[in-house]
Amino acid sequence: MTPTSIAGRLTLMFAVATGLVSALAGVAVFVFQTLELRRHQAEELQARFEIVETMVHRLGEAGRWPLLADKLTSFTPANDAIRYRVDSPDPRFAYGAPWPAGAQVQGPRQGLGYVRFEGRRFMTLSKMVGPYRERPAVRLTIAADTAPFDASGLVLGVGVLAASLLTTAAVSLLGRRIARDGLAPVDRLSQHAAALNPDDLSLRMPTRRLPAELEGLMTAFNGALDRLQHAYVRLSSFNADVAHELRTPLSNLIGQTQVALSRPRRPDELEEVLHSNLEELERLRTIINDMLFLARADQGAVAANLAPTSLAALVRKTADFLDVLFEEAGVTLRVEGDATIAVEESLLGRALTNLLDNAIRHGAGPGRVTVTIEDHGDEVCVGVRNRGAPIQEAHLARLFDRFYRLDPARENSGDSHGLGLAVVKAVAAMHGGGVFARCEHGEVLVGLFLKKRDAAEIVAPPRVTSEPLGSVLAESA
Amino acid sequence: MKILIVEDEPKTVAYLRKGLTEQGYSVDFASDGENGLHLAQTLDYDAVILDVMLPRLDGVTVLQRLRQSRQTPVIMLTARDSVEARLQGLGAGADDYLIKPFSFLELLARLQAITRRGRNESTAIAVGDLHLDLLSRRATRAGKRLNLTAKEFALLAVLARRQSQIVSKTVITELVWDINFDTNTNVVEVAIKRLRAKIDGAFDSKLLHTIRGMGYVLEHRPEETA
Repeated sequence: MTPTSIAGRLTLMFAVATGLVSALAGVAVFVFQTLELRRHQAEELQARFEIVETMVHRLGEAGRWPLLADKLTSFTPANDAIRYRVDSPDPRFAYGAPWPAGAQVQGPRQGLGYVRFEGRRFMTLSKMVGPYRERPAVRLTIAADTAPFDASGLVLGVGVLAASLLTTAAVSLLGRRIARDGLAPVDRLSQHAAALNPDDLSLRMPTRRLPAELEGLMTAFNGALDRLQHAYVRLSSFNADVAHELRTPLSNLIGQTQVALSRPRRPDELEEVLHSNLEELERLRTIINDMLFLARADQGAVAANLAPTSLAALVRKTADFLDVLFEEAGVTLRVEGDATIAVEESLLGRALTNLLDNAIRHGAGPGRVTVTIEDHGDEVCVGVRNRGAPIQEAHLARLFDRFYRLDPARENSGDSHGLGLAVVKAVAAMHGGGVFARCEHGEVLVGLFLKKRDAAEIVAPPRVTSEPLGSVLAESA
Repeated sequence: MKILIVEDEPKTVAYLRKGLTEQGYSVDFASDGENGLHLAQTLDYDAVILDVMLPRLDGVTVLQRLRQSRQTPVIMLTARDSVEARLQGLGAGADDYLIKPFSFLELLARLQAITRRGRNESTAIAVGDLHLDLLSRRATRAGKRLNLTAKEFALLAVLARRQSQIVSKTVITELVWDINFDTNTNVVEVAIKRLRAKIDGAFDSKLLHTIRGMGYVLEHRPEETA
């Protein structure tokens, strides 16, 4: 099972790492010490051998051999932990019994080796000692029981293992503590995060006295909070705007109806009030419909019913609709460039109507409005350019905001409700594009760009969603 | 012309009934889906105005069941302005739909469209001393040829075909310019102003009337003469 908490996981990882490292170290120590013990034993054996060898070497008479045998017997301890053997072709110069039957001999006939019998293991050292007077060449062998050294090895092994286990346990405990202490700032942060709520949007996560890693995270997190607050404030101010936009016509409706009903009126007076009411109501209806449209776009509605459309042709159709307005304003239209791209015609037509209407309305009197259609490969740019008073950068950025008006005094001018360019932006977004506004050389350039869709996306569903009024009402003549 | 209104909101029913009755329709109504379906299945109506949100049986279900036995034209009323709602309504067999808030004039226009009523289909129309020849696209008033642009003639024709009826700006935009989305421009006002100058400017008897907040009427009003 994987522990779910970071502290738990860190503890486990500490334990595993320490276990591995101490096991490796333990094995290394153990192997090294074992080798050292063996070397030690071999040296000891060598030393004994040299003493006995010297004695054997100088002894050439059979008569004196028993003296050596006595000496060797006295060298042999009671537990037979060290044994001496002299093998000789002449029985007068032999000592010690051969290894019992079944003894396993390892190693060369000369030098270091091992022999195992009766459940014991001996380290052996054998060497030939050259002939001297009566004595022929004999083989001298010394065997030392390895039990004491093996016991030391065992003790060492157990010690190393215990030390490694203890270390692992200690590091685990300490690691747990360290992980907890190390992660304490995270606990603190989660308490802060729990306190975040929409009632106080200015609340931020602390970034001081934090570990460097968390500081970066919290700075990024606070950045996200900033953006959210911005969007939230915009949304609330947008709601306030809506309420405000609806309030004026509503108060007109209530007020003038009350005035009309407060005393007897002639029918034509009442009719006048009703007409006026109707105008206000139509205004409300338009605002609500546009708001619903914008809300749909905000919710991520995408243009459907895409059909390849010539943008220049669509601009001309729109201009044809706005023709009387162009004439009244003394404005001429020039269309430059063209591109055929898959769009929802009624949506884009609506955007173009608003853009052109905007250019006529806010242009500097008679002159020319130029629509430029540029194909930039994966997107198409439609810009509407007209002469006009320069607009400050700050205003340009907000031009497409809902209910944003350059001149607050025009707020209730009646013919514009401040959603025109917001609708343009929504339409562009529904086609995967965006909007832009620039001000250069005494000209204002406002426009939108549209993403080109793949051919596969253009295969639109049957056009049942387009307003059927036209087809049903179509004039027969 | 018999119309059935299936709608549970009393105020809506009240004004629709009044308005449609005054337009010469005979109007029945039901305030829930079950009653509405029963009436629509048993009686012959020229059109049904059907709300989507209804108690007991919702509008789409009513429409689906009705379509199993009858092809009565149906106009759906919906407050949900979403593509799905439209598709649902039209897919279930609605002939048309209106999104609330809708204008009465628009409802009337669509009702007339699906019942093929109230339109002058002849090619020569006379409104007072104004004469239109739709084939040669000529208009004369008091015998004098009016010099109209193509769009102005189209606008006049739309109004003349619906002589004495109020024609809303939406319908005008749709029929004259083939624009079927909301526009917040004053194109229609300006176009009407120009048309008015040409057909009424030199005459005392005015034919083109503005109904504030609703639209325009082309009619001869004898009492206004002099």
